[in-house]
Parts: sequence; structure tokens; C-alpha cells
Amino acid sequence: MIHDPADDVLAFMARADADEAAFDALALRLFAHQVEHNAPYRRFCQDRGRLPRTVRSWRDIPAVPIQAFKDLSLSCVPIDQCERVFMTSGTTRGDVRGRHYHPALAVYDASMQRGFQQFFMTEHTQLPMLVLFPTEVMMPHSSLAHYLALALHRFGAQGSEYGIDDQGLRLEAIVHWLQHAQAHGHPVAILGASYSWVHLIDALQARGLSFALPAGSRLLDTGGFKGQSRDIPMREFYGLLSTTFGVPAQACINMYGMTELSTQWYDAGNAELPSIKRGPHWIRWRLIDPITGRDVPPGQEGIVVHCDLANYNAVTTVLTEDVGVAAGEGFKLLGRAQGSQAKGCSMAIDQFLKATQP
Amino acid sequence: MSEQPLRVGYLPGLSEHEVSWETMSLGSEAQPLRVEMPRLTSEQWDALTTRVRRAAREQLKTLPVTDIIRAIDRAVQRWLDPSDPLRQRADSCMARLTGWDAEMVRQGLNATFKTYRAMQLQRFVAEDLDNPKMLDEFQPRPSGGWARALGPDLLVHVWAGNVPGLPLWSLISGLLVKAGSVGKVARAEPLMAGWFAQTLAEVEPRLKDCIAIVWWPGGEVATEQQVLGLADHVLAYGSDATMADLRTRVPVGTPLQLHGHKLSLGLVSRQALGVREAAQCARLAALDVVRHEQMGCYSPQAFYLERGGRVSPREWCDLLAVELSALQQRYPRPTPDLSQALEVSAWIQSRAWSDETQHTTVLGHEEDDWRVLYTEQARELSPSALLRSVEVMAVDDLHQVPSLIEPRRAWLQTVGVATSPERLLDLAASLGQVGVTRVCALGSMTAPQAGWHHDGRFSLLDLVRIIEVDATALMLSDAFAPYRD
Repeated sequence: MIHDPADDVLAFMARADADEAAFDALALRLFAHQVEHNAPYRRFCQDRGRLPRTVRSWRDIPAVPIQAFKDLSLSCVPIDQCERVFMTSGTTRGDVRGRHYHPALAVYDASMQRGFQQFFMTEHTQLPMLVLFPTEVMMPHSSLAHYLALALHRFGAQGSEYGIDDQGLRLEAIVHWLQHAQAHGHPVAILGASYSWVHLIDALQARGLSFALPAGSRLLDTGGFKGQSRDIPMREFYGLLSTTFGVPAQACINMYGMTELSTQWYDAGNAELPSIKRGPHWIRWRLIDPITGRDVPPGQEGIVVHCDLANYNAVTTVLTEDVGVAAGEGFKLLGRAQGSQAKGCSMAIDQFLKATQP
Repeated sequence: MSEQPLRVGYLPGLSEHEVSWETMSLGSEAQPLRVEMPRLTSEQWDALTTRVRRAAREQLKTLPVTDIIRAIDRAVQRWLDPSDPLRQRADSCMARLTGWDAEMVRQGLNATFKTYRAMQLQRFVAEDLDNPKMLDEFQPRPSGGWARALGPDLLVHVWAGNVPGLPLWSLISGLLVKAGSVGKVARAEPLMAGWFAQTLAEVEPRLKDCIAIVWWPGGEVATEQQVLGLADHVLAYGSDATMADLRTRVPVGTPLQLHGHKLSLGLVSRQALGVREAAQCARLAALDVVRHEQMGCYSPQAFYLERGGRVSPREWCDLLAVELSALQQRYPRPTPDLSQALEVSAWIQSRAWSDETQHTTVLGHEEDDWRVLYTEQARELSPSALLRSVEVMAVDDLHQVPSLIEPRRAWLQTVGVATSPERLLDLAASLGQVGVTRVCALGSMTAPQAGWHHDGRFSLLDLVRIIEVDATALMLSDAFAPYRD
């Protein structure tokens, strides 16, 4: 019988913790597996002269730019044998959407649940939940829809429901839910895309409504605004969450996740901005200079690279377009690296893409 | 100790303390250059434009064009003088502002100023007007009648980009047609235009009120509408987005000339790929890449090479790599910021992966300040990530190139070529057909000649109206002369 790397990853997650050596050991095993079974990735590593026989640490594993999830099929298993494919929302570069193939969702789901328990639910096992995002049926290729569905089914106490249906925000139902939660006095959780929050806040403000949710309630936002709502500064955003729902910024958690990953990062509230992101023991980050691929000197800003062992089928190590800086036990996200501003008068790629996209 | 911020602009008739100033930090974080940008009130905009318009009418329009050329030449001579403190300050400020190598900046400014000396300016005028005296007074036309070329009273320039000295091009064009100028500087390089206006005022006091150098934050609708609304003619440079915005703010009926961002490229024919010739071409191509750090509209972002020479296109890439490495020693590249660095790496990946069947080779290692991407199978032209990154593509025949670049028609500008004489004009004709407006020698891409037709337009003729006095007017006037028969 063929050994399934998913089992190794599940066993690794089940450990209480892992030091660098243990992390390296599994990272290098997965690297060898991916180089062997994923032809485009093998070429990518060959071009860089980084192959299993020379790579000694997870830090040396070549990081694949997220663009590659759009250009290539990064999968060790034939893609028609994969249970699920998650796709990026395709808001940044035209119609081409990045695809992340999952042969099965066991690892993704285990990763999500353990991380969610540790960093969002903390002492609770279940809370009444309101989800401000479409269901999985409405968005079958959205990893966030799956994430939130899992949160609701696994961690949602009785009275949990979706605040969005195919007509959009169910404002009446949401208001009713909030009033009920407020009256009951038990902590609740509300989860949604950052832009869904903006839409809800605007709708509630238009009605002059605000709430004081019970102590211990927590809110989760993720993903930024992506041009789906008005763009507001982070400080103002968390201020609005606090004033509209009566939940202090310390209990407003931002989840940082990507379709290209299988594990999520969380902060411990957003009273101080930008917040520090941390994750479970099967994901690590580093900050690099993307031209040289080397770590930036300590304290300097770099582009965030994730090594997510739960990404056993695609590639573990992903180069984002996000700028970060090390802080405390984790890193702070400083935003997306903007397409470099055209400083001269020659055509720049960013503009070119805007101009040539349909 | 912090340096005194440099004040941007040239504001005749407004005293510095009346104006409010916005401090900004430009250049790199490591070596910031602090500047103060002027922020004018609506009344100040009115006063300034009125003053410039009046001075243009009363002073500039009465000066013969030869006097204007002489004045510009005197100012330019100061700027060409390496011992002039103004020039020395400019050299160092421009290097800090752009992050470019100081020696490269110095040479670039020299090349720019040399094109504005008196003899070059005479050619500049002659390029557009067979009889330059048309700018001074009515001149007889061969077809009968008389004609005069009259520039606008108030020409508003909107500049863009960080290429040092680029605004001088349109500023000087304005002076030659005797237009009063209000020029908005770009945040990326706000200093040169103001300094040059100051020098002009010093060498020719009659010009002191004819130019204003200003700034407002791009997209500030009220200011844009007010200033552009007052203009007789608008000349603007910038991105497609800026151009689209400006277009909505210039009143219908006010002539508007737009110069958007451009794409330029190089071509090397098989005749230029002999063993010695190929090395020479690589040297010239590398210089075009490095000068102005590919920020100029005329800077090459890709090269198409013809197969069939002694040196193959792939081998030529190695020669280009050698030259780029040598230039890296002489003129180090500015340090890219994170988003630029990401763009370079993303560019390489996207080109390398966009089609797995086309074998793409990446030249340039971690420590190199440049990247060359070689593709065996030529594809449509697209921009590089700049910062000394270029794509080299092989074609069987250079005549395939026009169809590969035609999809970018709206953005094409300069093509630097290395080919044999008998092919030159044929090639130029087919390139022109698909949108190219300038064909020059490889190695000369970043130094357009005085009097070039930027983006295929007339520098001076596009700015003037021709006032004709029809021969019939004289004939009829004879009937009313006291000496009539």
C-alpha cells in the first residue's frame, strides 16, 4: 500500500507542539514528495538548483509565488482525482483564478479546527454563531465558505445561522439574532469577510442601530475589502466593530488565510494595530527579499513566505505578495505590496495589466 | 542635524510667506530628501495665472525668437558648467531623489542640457517651421498671403515621472512659441523645473513673470478644474489613468495634448550579429537599458533578435549579460523597494511559466543587478519589470516583429535598431505602420535629438495657431489706399 503523506501531517498536527528539528523533518519529507510527484514544481526547483538532496531546512525550500497557482496545476495527485478544488476570488489579476487542489479535505479540516479552537474559540467548545458569508453551496470553490461552514457546524451552538443568503444580507434576521443574543447574556461569535462587516455596519447605521453583545463575545473578520465594499482604515474598522456591536477591539480577531494555504494565522485582538499574527505549530513564516530569495535582516520588512505542512498536496512553501515585519512571537502584516508605482514614463506591468484586461 | 527642506516651485508675484507649504520626504528612506511643496489658494491661482498670461502677452510675445533662444542658451550654459553651485546641488539632489548612480545622473543631465544650446534650439525651431520668423511677425507664404504662428498665452503643463530634466522639454517648447507657462511638477522629481525657471529669470529679467512652476496633489478636482479651466492649451504627461482623469477636466475647446506612458524596444538584425558586431550591439543595448534605469518612455524593455547571424540570439544574451555586469560596477542600480523586488520576481515567474512549452532561460543570479529572460519562441511585446530587467526573444526574420508589437500600438514609441543600411528604411516603414514613432540607433535610445517629434507629434506646431492674412485682404485694401487709382 502506498504511504499517504496526509497521515504524517495528521499525526504531526496531533502533537502538542513541535520544535524546529521536528518541523524540518516533516517539511523535508513533504518537499521530497512534492518534487517527485509534481512536475512543474520539480522544474521550478531544478531551475533554482534546490532539490531534496541539497535542501537541509524548511527555510531552503523554494517558495512558489501565488501567481503559480494561476498558471500551473500544482498537485501531486492527478487533479481529476481530487475531492475539492478551492479557487481564489480572482479580484487581483483578471479572470485567471488560482487553484488549490485537495485530494481529500481531512487535513484541511483538521488544520482549520485545531487552529480555530486554539486561537479563536480559546476556552469555549461551542458558541452561538452568525456567519456573514455565503454558504458552501452558494460558493463551492471558496475556501473561506468552507472554512466558515466548518466553523459553524463544528463550533456553532444551537441558534447558529447564516446572515447571508442568495439575496444578500438577511438584515431582519440579523437584527433579530443580535437582539436575541444581547438579551440572552451569553457570549456569541460572529464571523465574516471584512467587506461583509462593512456592508452590515452600513446597513445597521442607516437604521440607527447598535448593540452591546454580552461580555466574552468575539468577532472574526478576514480577507480585507477587496474592492467589494468601501475601503476603510483598520483603526476605523475595528472602532466601528466595537461601537456597533459592543465588542472591544481585543475580542475582534482577524484571521489571515489564503486559498493557497490549508492553515490560517490569527491575532489576539486588534486593540493595537497592526496586530501580531500567530499560527499553530505546523505552519511557519519567514520574510524575504524576493529578488535574492534570502531572509531580510532582523527587524526589516520583507515579503511573507509561508511553510504550511498542511499543504501536503500542492506545495508547502508559498511566496505571498504581502509585506510583513517580525514582531513578538509572530509577524505583523503591513499590507499588500502595491504594484510598484510608475515612477518614470515607461509603461509598467501593473498599468499594462489594467489596460489589457477585458 | 537635519537639512533645511528645499522649496519647490517658482511663483512670480507671490511671496514665500504668503504661500502655505506642505513638507514631504522624497527619495529613499535611508537618504530622504525633504522638500516643501507650495499649496496655493484659489485666489492665488487666479493671481498667478493672470500674471503669467499678462507677462506672456506684454513681454514674451514682443521678444524675437532669437532673443528667447539666446536667453535659454545663457541659462543652459550655466547648467552645463560643472563648477556652478546650482548644477552641483542639482546633481546631488537628483541622485538622491531617483536613487540612480550619481555619475549616470550627471551624464544624463549633460545630455539633456546639451540639446537646449542655441544651435540645437535653432534646429529645433527649424524642424517645425521652415521660416522661424513666423513666430515673430507675418511672413509671406509661397502660396500667397501672409502667415504668423501664434502660441497660447497660457500653456499649462502637467508633468510626470522622475527622469531628471524631462519637464524642460515642454517648458522650452512653450518659451519658443512665446507661451506663458504654468507647469505642475511631479512628486517624483519636483525640483529641476523650478530651478531652471529661476535661472531664466536671472539671465533674462523680461522672462521673470512668464513662467510659474507649481504643484497640487494629482486628482485634486477643484484645483485641477480651476487651473485647467484657465488654460489656453494643456500638455500633460502620465499614466493612462491620469490621462483619462485630466481629459474630463479640460474644457471642451481647449486643446489638450497627452503623452501617456510608453513601451520601447530594440531590434538586432543578423547583419549585426557577427562576432565583433554582436559584442558592440550588446554594449549599446546595455547602455540603453541602464541609462535612466528604464524609466524613460524611450527606454527598451525587450529586444528581438534575428536568427541566422554568426552569433545566435541565445549567445547574444550572454554578451548582454557581460555588459550589464560591467555596467553594474560602474553605475550601480538603485536599491529596489519590496514591491519593486516582488515585481521583478513575479515577472520572471510569469514569463517562465506562462507557457511551459516555450523554453525560457533566466540569466542573472541573486547578486546581479539585472535580469535577462531569453525566450526561444518570440511572443507579443509586453513590459518588463524595469530595474534593468529585459526580455530577449528570437525571431527568424525581423519582419515578424511588427505583428508581435502591433497589439501594443497605443503605447509604442522608440525602437533602437542595429541593422544594415539597405534594410533600415524598410524596417522603419513597417514599424511605423504599427505605431512606432521613433527609430534610432541602438545605444541612442535615451537621448532623442533636439527637434524630435515626441510621440510622433510636432513639438512647436502643435502648440501654435497659424494666423493667415489672405492675399485677397491686401488686394481689397488697395482699393481703399489714399494712392488708389
